[in-house]
Amino acid sequence: MDELNIVNKEELFLKKDESAEAEEHVDRSQIVVFKLGGEEYAMMIDEIKEVVVTPNIAKVPLMPSYIKGVANVRGNILAVLDLEEKFGMLKEGETEAQSKKNYILVVESQTHKMAILVQEVPNTLTILDSQIDASPNVVVNDEREGDFIKGLVRLENRLIILLDIFSIISKDILQAENKES
Amino acid sequence: MKSRDEELKQIFYAEALDQFEELNRLFIVLEKNHGDKQAVNAIFRITHTLKANAGGMGFEGIATLSHLLEDIFSELKNGKLALNQEIFNDLFRANDKLGGLIEAVTSGEEVRYRGLVTKLKVILSEAHGEERVQKASRDYVAEREQAAGSAEHNQEQNEISQKNREQAAAEEKRQQLQQELAALQAHEAQSMQDEEAAPVETNEPKIAFSDLIQVPVQKLDNLLNLVGELAIEKDRIAANHKGRGSEYARLYRVTSDLQYSVMGVRLVQVNVLFQKFHRIVRDVAALENKKVNLVLEGTEIEIDRNILQIISDSLIHLVRNAISHGIETTEERSRSGKPAEGTLTLSASNEKDFVVINVIDDGKGIDAEAIRKKVITKGLLSERNAQQASDQDIVKFIFEPGFSSAEKVTQISGRGVGMDVVKKALDSIGGKIDLSTTKGKGTTFKLLLPSSMAVKNALLFELNEAEFAIPLSFTEAVVSLNKKEVHKVSSGLVSSYLEQNMSVIFLKDIFSLDDVDDLRGPQVLHRSFDKVSENEKLNIIIVKFNERLVGLVVDKLLQQKEIIEKTLSPPVDNAYFISGATILGNGNVCLVLDIPGILNHLFNPVKYGSYDYAPIQ
Repeated sequence: MDELNIVNKEELFLKKDESAEAEEHVDRSQIVVFKLGGEEYAMMIDEIKEVVVTPNIAKVPLMPSYIKGVANVRGNILAVLDLEEKFGMLKEGETEAQSKKNYILVVESQTHKMAILVQEVPNTLTILDSQIDASPNVVVNDEREGDFIKGLVRLENRLIILLDIFSIISKDILQAENKES
Repeated sequence: MKSRDEELKQIFYAEALDQFEELNRLFIVLEKNHGDKQAVNAIFRITHTLKANAGGMGFEGIATLSHLLEDIFSELKNGKLALNQEIFNDLFRANDKLGGLIEAVTSGEEVRYRGLVTKLKVILSEAHGEERVQKASRDYVAEREQAAGSAEHNQEQNEISQKNREQAAAEEKRQQLQQELAALQAHEAQSMQDEEAAPVETNEPKIAFSDLIQVPVQKLDNLLNLVGELAIEKDRIAANHKGRGSEYARLYRVTSDLQYSVMGVRLVQVNVLFQKFHRIVRDVAALENKKVNLVLEGTEIEIDRNILQIISDSLIHLVRNAISHGIETTEERSRSGKPAEGTLTLSASNEKDFVVINVIDDGKGIDAEAIRKKVITKGLLSERNAQQASDQDIVKFIFEPGFSSAEKVTQISGRGVGMDVVKKALDSIGGKIDLSTTKGKGTTFKLLLPSSMAVKNALLFELNEAEFAIPLSFTEAVVSLNKKEVHKVSSGLVSSYLEQNMSVIFLKDIFSLDDVDDLRGPQVLHRSFDKVSENEKLNIIIVKFNERLVGLVVDKLLQQKEIIEKTLSPPVDNAYFISGATILGNGNVCLVLDIPGILNHLFNPVKYGSYDYAPIQ
């Protein structure tokens, strides 16, 4: 198996426990940070199941172009999404082939399971919950991507965008259903 | 067939234990509140089912006891009997006894129950007797009061003596009943004694466990998925180590045994579904005021539980249709010299890898002329084509979307959605439906169902350097044609196979579309054809669906293979033209084509005009 399980949840949880012992009464979250179109995005660690090297993707006809197709990840057939394309983040003149997507993040909720393409191995980060700014003026209600932002995390000179990945899909499903009816 | 009986017994036992547990619960509810109507109703229902099941299995004790309980609870339900502590205690004991009898199904122990039966009969006859006696005295009192108001003394005298006589008669009757009761009670006491004397009546509470366990289908699905993955892994290892096959022979055998065992677990007898039709047929027949006899055949045939679930609505639809449109009224039947009672047969049988379910009625058959007229008025066929088509072909139009032959709407059938829904359900599982009808003699619907959902045979091919599969149930042939054998006709392409016309579609053309509506765009279906050089050979897979042949042009033909199709999950679950996917030995995902979906999009009835439909014999 050439698949790589880079994010080891257990290990991360262990770390978390240690730090919790050191400083009590502070709520912390673990986030997984990855780059999309030059910016840093993140998801909660419990939404991410694993990171694997991008497998062969079978294109599904007549799908929006950001849905790259389906791939086999440990016997599960998952849809593979390119969020850079979804959000129109490809730089001017940059073709899809140029932006290499070497890894996929397998994301999982109770109802959905799918994969998103990323260029580099993501990092994990422990942040204080108080560092997440989810105030409405940050979470713009933009048609394109505003709905999918849970909040912003500001760390020294970094700005990390917390994504709500599953609402992206639910919204698309809704649209598809409307179309059908 | 001993094992079959044993299995049925096990199933009965498991069900009965459940029911008994529920009864226990309800009795405890009832103990706290004698007036709990819900509990009474529930007990009535359960004992009714138990009675029927036990009767069918020949467990006389359980049947008798539950029958009596059912009767008593029916009286309770109707308020003819009031529950008091004494009666309740007896009922509670009866319930315990029922448990003992159920337990005896597997243990084979002898359980005496006659005494209790007598006791219950006493309760029941008391209920009846009380009612009768009460009625008699009520009548008397009412009449007396009336009489008292009467001025005619003389007449009153007369009447009183009359009443007295009647009262005496009532009294006599009462005594008679009481004697009956006494006799019963004496009998009861006797048999109770017998019972008491019976050896080893242990009173220690026992908890019974059934040998059957209930498993949620979801768990089985997961198990089957895992086995599927194992089978894929097996293929992969075998492919990587060609030539050393014998080393993997064991692995091969074990995995396929495992696969078939898991598939076997999901199989249930069609009886599970067929049994439910006794009631449905009765209800529909009563509503239509017809006499219909239901005959079940091949009830022991096994089929995947999920398939049964998917087709159950279709089967109900077919049965309702057969009764409301097929079978004639009693008068009509006797006029045409048929037995007054119509016969509806549900039969199941095995045919190769398929399970065949036939829905046969001996009614008036389908009127091909009426269908032909409708086909023409709905514009599904040109008049010329419709007249040329044979009756057998014409009647199949009832499966077309939006076609409903019901001329008047009844409560049961003919609600506009009809056979096309049935057909869709069958398409979704790779099944087929066919019908044959003889005017005046009856109609047979033949449902061809895969016996297992999980594994299907498929033909693999390559297109745009990716692998795809088409279920073999749709493929008719594989041919190689020269470009000059394919002709542009209107916006499509046409060729012939075995002297039949067929449409030819380059899959590339429809897979490269951005939007499914673009299918109607000009020259869309000619794109790849125009690029092909004159003497190039075209690889074509001919698929057949809805009696229509279509040739699909692919890049390269691969092998035929058993695949385990998985459905796609959001956001690709509603993908056009794709029904699911499977994982190949090399780890790649292979999409499975949704042939009905593709063809329905291509041959949308509205667009019939552009493809001159050629009926195929």
